[in-house]
Amino acid sequence: MVQFNLPDNSKLTDGDYYKSEKSNGNTKKFKIYRWSPDDEKNPRMDTYEVDLDDCGPMVLDAVMKIKSEIDTSLTFRRSCREGICGSCAMNIDGTNTLACTKAISDVKGDIKIYPLPHMPVIKDLVTNLKTLYKQLKSIKPWLMNKKQNANDTENIQSRNDREKLDGLYECILCACCSTSCPSYWWNSDKYLGPAVLLQSYRWLQDSRDEERKERLKELDDTFKVYRCHTIMNCTQACPKGLNPAKAIAGIKQMIAQQ
Amino acid sequence: MSAKNTWKLHRWSTILLLPLIVYLFIKIIHLSTLPYHLILSELSNLWGVGYILIFTVLGLVHMNTGVHEILDDYVHSDVVKRILNVIISIFFLLILIFVCLSLLLIFMG
Repeated sequence: MVQFNLPDNSKLTDGDYYKSEKSNGNTKKFKIYRWSPDDEKNPRMDTYEVDLDDCGPMVLDAVMKIKSEIDTSLTFRRSCREGICGSCAMNIDGTNTLACTKAISDVKGDIKIYPLPHMPVIKDLVTNLKTLYKQLKSIKPWLMNKKQNANDTENIQSRNDREKLDGLYECILCACCSTSCPSYWWNSDKYLGPAVLLQSYRWLQDSRDEERKERLKELDDTFKVYRCHTIMNCTQACPKGLNPAKAIAGIKQMIAQQ
Repeated sequence: MSAKNTWKLHRWSTILLLPLIVYLFIKIIHLSTLPYHLILSELSNLWGVGYILIFTVLGLVHMNTGVHEILDDYVHSDVVKRILNVIISIFFLLILIFVCLSLLLIFMG
């Protein structure tokens, strides 16, 4: 049954307050979720004042400034800082997004930052995405084409067939969509979630792939696809502007037509 | 039933119920203006009985698949799910029996 009560030691408490030393008025407060497995303490919200005159324009710039200048113990993932790798996905101002593409100026008032919702937290803003990667592996996200392997020749795709992959191949697997989906929150062990289903649809739509029937057969399951109830949080959350809900609808249509 | 067919059944029952619900509203408004004996005669003709039976069966099929979706979403224990399924099936069966008995009473006057 769905768990309605919070586990022990999960109640969020107020944390430390780090005041900006060089405050000239143009500061912004960043309230950041902190939790460490190293102690038995509850998670807390630490507040950091950041001088915006001495900081880049994006939320990631501020978080990196906090880590390098204010509190080195703050833990988060980041890599490309330009919306390509998906590492810095976190919940900013109530929305799952990439810290590197979210402008500080887009948020009015204090900026609250949490890890991606309903995922096990490893430390601070770092979540455990093991289940998601396992699910991704289960849909076999690679081209399955026996002919190509046998002949070792070029596998030509028409312009129209290639266009079918637009809006699908751009997914960077940041998990913003899956972790914003209530269906994924309740059944993340069995429901594949929007991120993985978008990837699945990408291979179903590929004209060069020969295992479409097998892929659809694998997906025809009460939980893998049909837990999607078109809530559309995934589409709203996607920082790349993709439409996972449409991809899931496409999968359902393909299964129905089979 | 496979997941695909359950999904199809739920969608088709929705589509089929839409015109039936519109008709139901129109019929209720129409019946509310009639005297009691005319309401009974309207309900007891073949079309009236047929409509109520089709509406009830379709509605129950739709409700049954819908409730199962909710159970799949929120109830993770197989044992609890099975118990709830039995209770819900009995409840729907009772509704069907009551509808049939009511129609029989109206039909027999």
